[in-house]
Amino acid sequence: MRRQLPLVMTFIAGIIPVIALFSPHPIVVNIAARADRWLVIVYAFALLLGVVSVVQSNSRKIARRDKGWPYAVVLLTGLTVMGGFGFLGNFGIFGGITTTPDGRPTPFQWSYSNVFLPLQATMFSLLAFYMASASFRAFRARNLAAGLLMVSALFVMFGRIPTGEAVPFVPMITEWIMDNPNAAAQRGIIIGAALGAASMSLRVILGIERSHLGLGRGE
Amino acid sequence: MPDIGTWVGAFLSLAILTFLYRDNPFFRFAESLFAGVALGYYIGNQTNQTIKPNLVLALARDFSANWDLIFAGLLGIGLYFRYIQKVAWLARVPLGIYVGYYVGVTLMQKLHGEVLPQMKDTILPLSAPGLAAVWNILMVVGVFSVLLYFFFSLEHRGALGVASRVGILFVMVSFGAAFGYTVMGRVSLLIGRLNFLVNDWLRPLIRAVF
Amino acid sequence: MHLVDRLLATDRRIIYLLVGLGALIPLLIPIGLPVTVTPPVRSAFEKIESLPAGSVVVISFDYGPSTAPENDPQAGAVMRHCFARGIRVVGMALYPLGGLSVAVEEINKVAAEFPVTYGVDYVNLGYKDGAQAAMRRMNEDLHELFPRDASGRPIGELLLMQEVRSLKDTDLVFSFATGIIGEWWINLVNAQFGTPVAVGSTAVGTPKYYAYLKAGQAVGLLGGLKGASEYERLLSDHYPDVARIYESPLLYTATQGMDIQTIVHLVIIALVLAGNILYFTSRIMRRSSPGGRRA
Repeated sequence: MRRQLPLVMTFIAGIIPVIALFSPHPIVVNIAARADRWLVIVYAFALLLGVVSVVQSNSRKIARRDKGWPYAVVLLTGLTVMGGFGFLGNFGIFGGITTTPDGRPTPFQWSYSNVFLPLQATMFSLLAFYMASASFRAFRARNLAAGLLMVSALFVMFGRIPTGEAVPFVPMITEWIMDNPNAAAQRGIIIGAALGAASMSLRVILGIERSHLGLGRGE
Repeated sequence: MPDIGTWVGAFLSLAILTFLYRDNPFFRFAESLFAGVALGYYIGNQTNQTIKPNLVLALARDFSANWDLIFAGLLGIGLYFRYIQKVAWLARVPLGIYVGYYVGVTLMQKLHGEVLPQMKDTILPLSAPGLAAVWNILMVVGVFSVLLYFFFSLEHRGALGVASRVGILFVMVSFGAAFGYTVMGRVSLLIGRLNFLVNDWLRPLIRAVF
Repeated sequence: MHLVDRLLATDRRIIYLLVGLGALIPLLIPIGLPVTVTPPVRSAFEKIESLPAGSVVVISFDYGPSTAPENDPQAGAVMRHCFARGIRVVGMALYPLGGLSVAVEEINKVAAEFPVTYGVDYVNLGYKDGAQAAMRRMNEDLHELFPRDASGRPIGELLLMQEVRSLKDTDLVFSFATGIIGEWWINLVNAQFGTPVAVGSTAVGTPKYYAYLKAGQAVGLLGGLKGASEYERLLSDHYPDVARIYESPLLYTATQGMDIQTIVHLVIIALVLAGNILYFTSRIMRRSSPGGRRA
């Protein structure tokens, strides 16, 4: 039962959207609509699972005074404060989580703009430096394939800036690269990946693939 | 003078940027804070935008029309049983439903929304006027050679070997374009941060001080 | 160690400094380089141009702060286009980590520049979980999916939403996406429901969207900051009032960003070429040195 019930539920839940695409029967449409409504809510609960895991692991780190435990305190403090503003916003405290009626940001929105946004945006902006370093140290045209990659990259990098667009033929060649060989390769990748994803989906629905439930092949 | 929020944002941005020199406590502090605040954001976002309006208020507003949402709530809460040793197996049921539903949607999405339209647009006239015929041939050859490159059930020898080598050349051109665009994307993110630091923080600060 | 090898072993922090200076100098001393418009962006612009006043466009904020420097100017440009044409905007967000907040900030910022009224000319429905489940519901009943707007107001109170019951009552979906959500708009909403979709993607995702654009699954594509700058150029050429907004010194525009993009791109192109020249020079020198051939 512990193994069969989840597999049966996976099959039923998986087959509903498949049948709904082909059948306009009112019962099928009704069941599919209900499934959509339910899964919107279940999705929200699922996204919050990570919060529990992180709180558990960092609390353990603090309790055991593991290496780097002060940073776990910082993490949990940030989580508590931001999460507190957000959760209390549900009850109208602080005016919600967006803006107050007079246009002022709530503490949640303020924390987003002045703490979360700078942190995440700067984290990602570091990648520009790493790309430049990798371009100098690792980007080598050692063979035909790598050479093609480099030529294509150089055309796109140059052809997509105003200076390059002023050079005759460069914008035309760049657009041709994007529209023809790039589109062809991306199309092949899209089709291949889509077929792979579709076959994996079928395996999950039919219960052949069970790893998402923590079950092995033979279980 | 920049306001307190700008000062906080500037301090945190600079703390992250110090990592370019080397790892240091300021960076680790900012990194940990980021992880905590991101998870805290989820709490506010998910509860306020979905759980409250679509579940709690829907049940409170009209229970007779929305009573089935109780099962949605139970399924959602059931996911958390994985943290209770004795009933952890129960979490597999809502997880199975969640995964099953989304793979069912994905199955149809991929076949109907990707495979069919993309294949349809690859069926191109090879006798079009002018250069269009050449580009159409290029597109058809490119798509099929790339597909053959990713077909690993047979060894890439003979005709299949030649086709897959042509495919890899198309893939390399595409990856080169992707590299170029990736550089553009990463640089744009840097521009955004520098614009904040210079125009929103430093310039008002210098104007206020001098 | 030979000069070539010493150059190849340049400390990565010097490269970081070069990139940093390449970005900082044009930020302090703007150049004002002109922007050329490409067909995918023109196609998106013309789609909105073809919509009469009173049409409804869904703007989906499917990105967060990680790609806001690219997607914010795109979303801002398209919203300004809609408001300039009298097209009504239904804003929403499907990206969980910041989508709601970028939507709030960007919609409020752009709406303040035009004589538009919340609830009549534009609404912000806020964020919704569910991804594909939410998209499927949108085609049937937007009111059930979004019973309240971003601030918690009942959606039935909003005049615009009394006319818009589902995606079938809208004329275009414009998704500003950092990842796969833009593809879902195309391969689910457009494929299954026929709703026209245009995408403002990050530069990283742009090459893939060309395949969708070519197959007619998307009606237009804005690729990264460049795409945003092209759209700003089209707007400024066609709408003098919007051009004046873009001339404001307080507004950071994608066009200004392209100046910096140009210099940094040239720096990186130089680094790629220099790296290869030095590498092959080093190889040739090693081969032609007395112990080189044996090694």
